[in-house]
Amino acid sequence: QKQLDPSVFQRLHPRAYLERFLSEGIRPDGRDPDAWRSVSINVGSVTTADGSALVRIGKTTMICGVKAEIAEPELDRPECGFLGNYINGNKVPNVDLPALCSPRFKPGPPGDEAQILSARLNEICVSSEILPLNSLCIHPGKAVWVLYVDTTCLNYDGNAFDAALLATIAALKNTRLPKATYNEDTTRTICSRKVTIPLQLQSLPLSASFGIFDSSHLLSDPTSFEEPLLETFITVVMDEKGSLSSVIQSGLATVG
Amino acid sequence: MASFDRRRINGPEESRPPVFEDDEDAEQISVTPKTRKGRANKDIRPIFLTTGLISEGNGSSYIETEKTKIACAVYGPRQIKNEPYNEIGNLNVEVKFSPFSCSRRRAPLRDAEDRSISVLIQQSLLPSLRLELLPKSGIDVFITIIENDGVEACVASGAVAASTALADAGIEMFGLVTSCASAMVEEDIWLDPTAEETVRARASFTIACIPALGTVTNIWQTGQLTAEEAICCLEACQTCCRDIHNVMASALLNSQAAKCS
Repeated sequence: QKQLDPSVFQRLHPRAYLERFLSEGIRPDGRDPDAWRSVSINVGSVTTADGSALVRIGKTTMICGVKAEIAEPELDRPECGFLGNYINGNKVPNVDLPALCSPRFKPGPPGDEAQILSARLNEICVSSEILPLNSLCIHPGKAVWVLYVDTTCLNYDGNAFDAALLATIAALKNTRLPKATYNEDTTRTICSRKVTIPLQLQSLPLSASFGIFDSSHLLSDPTSFEEPLLETFITVVMDEKGSLSSVIQSGLATVG
Repeated sequence: MASFDRRRINGPEESRPPVFEDDEDAEQISVTPKTRKGRANKDIRPIFLTTGLISEGNGSSYIETEKTKIACAVYGPRQIKNEPYNEIGNLNVEVKFSPFSCSRRRAPLRDAEDRSISVLIQQSLLPSLRLELLPKSGIDVFITIIENDGVEACVASGAVAASTALADAGIEMFGLVTSCASAMVEEDIWLDPTAEETVRARASFTIACIPALGTVTNIWQTGQLTAEEAICCLEACQTCCRDIHNVMASALLNSQAAKCS
């Protein structure tokens, strides 16, 4: 019988390739089915941003930057926030999966996956109440901070959601806002370059993603090779006190 | 002043970047020192260049020179669909600024500045590649600017990163493309200017060249320069490009050694 090069076999029959590994109890990259890849976080590297974080989960790389701007609050919520599309107060999280990070993404406006990630991240930010809504107020009714939290994926090797959430939280923790004073006479807000205040985060939601293969194997932290072969994805988001923030399940299997 | 983008989470209709109290003092500082802060005129910022950070691409590189940080990924040669047969391969360069890369937040949409930098980098790389060996194929070079400290530095570092990534992808080329920017401040030529230094200069001159062949692939000049000054800038940049070439070559050799061991 002709011998196939393992990498050729992986390309031609990915499902059989994964099944062979799982029958031995390990995964193609050598991990146990319930093991996570090593996570590394590097904060504060981007000086043009008010806060930044670079997160690596295995080879998946996400960089997140926070830029703070000043805007007028809505009339009916003078102290905190905005309603509407950005229902989470003054944070505007966005995830971008550019064509750079994987051959499956084409250049152009955000595709489905990026939009779904952004929407889920937005939900988590709202439901976990990471920042108390009043903390971003400079002067009630006149000026509030708006935080644009933009996450860009540099390398996509599976589990983008965990990495994006981790990068967002780490960047928010790293953010320092300049001290702003609102001048009633000139109606202008002036910021100090010298005095900066860190953000007061109330909770730190973190997520863990799993996939179910063949209705029998639970794989944690799937890579980009395993992802298309899994029929179901489950993501659980919890904060540091252990309370559940969100559970997302997509796919064929039922959770019982 | 962001227009409503239905594919992204939007912020408030209008938001302004913060205004700092000592911006008036900053103007006085820019008038005074005539000598360069921290470096000699002909010194470039130290370059940190590695390859292989983006495992999904055929080739990739990451360059960091003090505050400028650029990541580059190369996908290709791959098939171009929906295009008529073309004997010569197609090089497509796309540059994207991250929203947090500049001191004022940039909208995630690609605008004219992104595209003009893409064209400059594409022009820098085109003469070096053997595209006649790749019919019906396209090479995509994606550049993401993570932090921006001067547009000329972005163009120069972007071209260096792109050429390294192309070599990392194993695409045949005549030689590595190196690129260097310079600025004319009063009567001095300052190499590798930062954003602040470019503002004070009266002209900037960026070239891309192939040191192995001794040819120049791209010249981008803005501002007012006499012809003799332009030739002086050209020679200064070319000398500097040979040093950058050594950095690129050693980065590629190290990554190959790491792959083999």
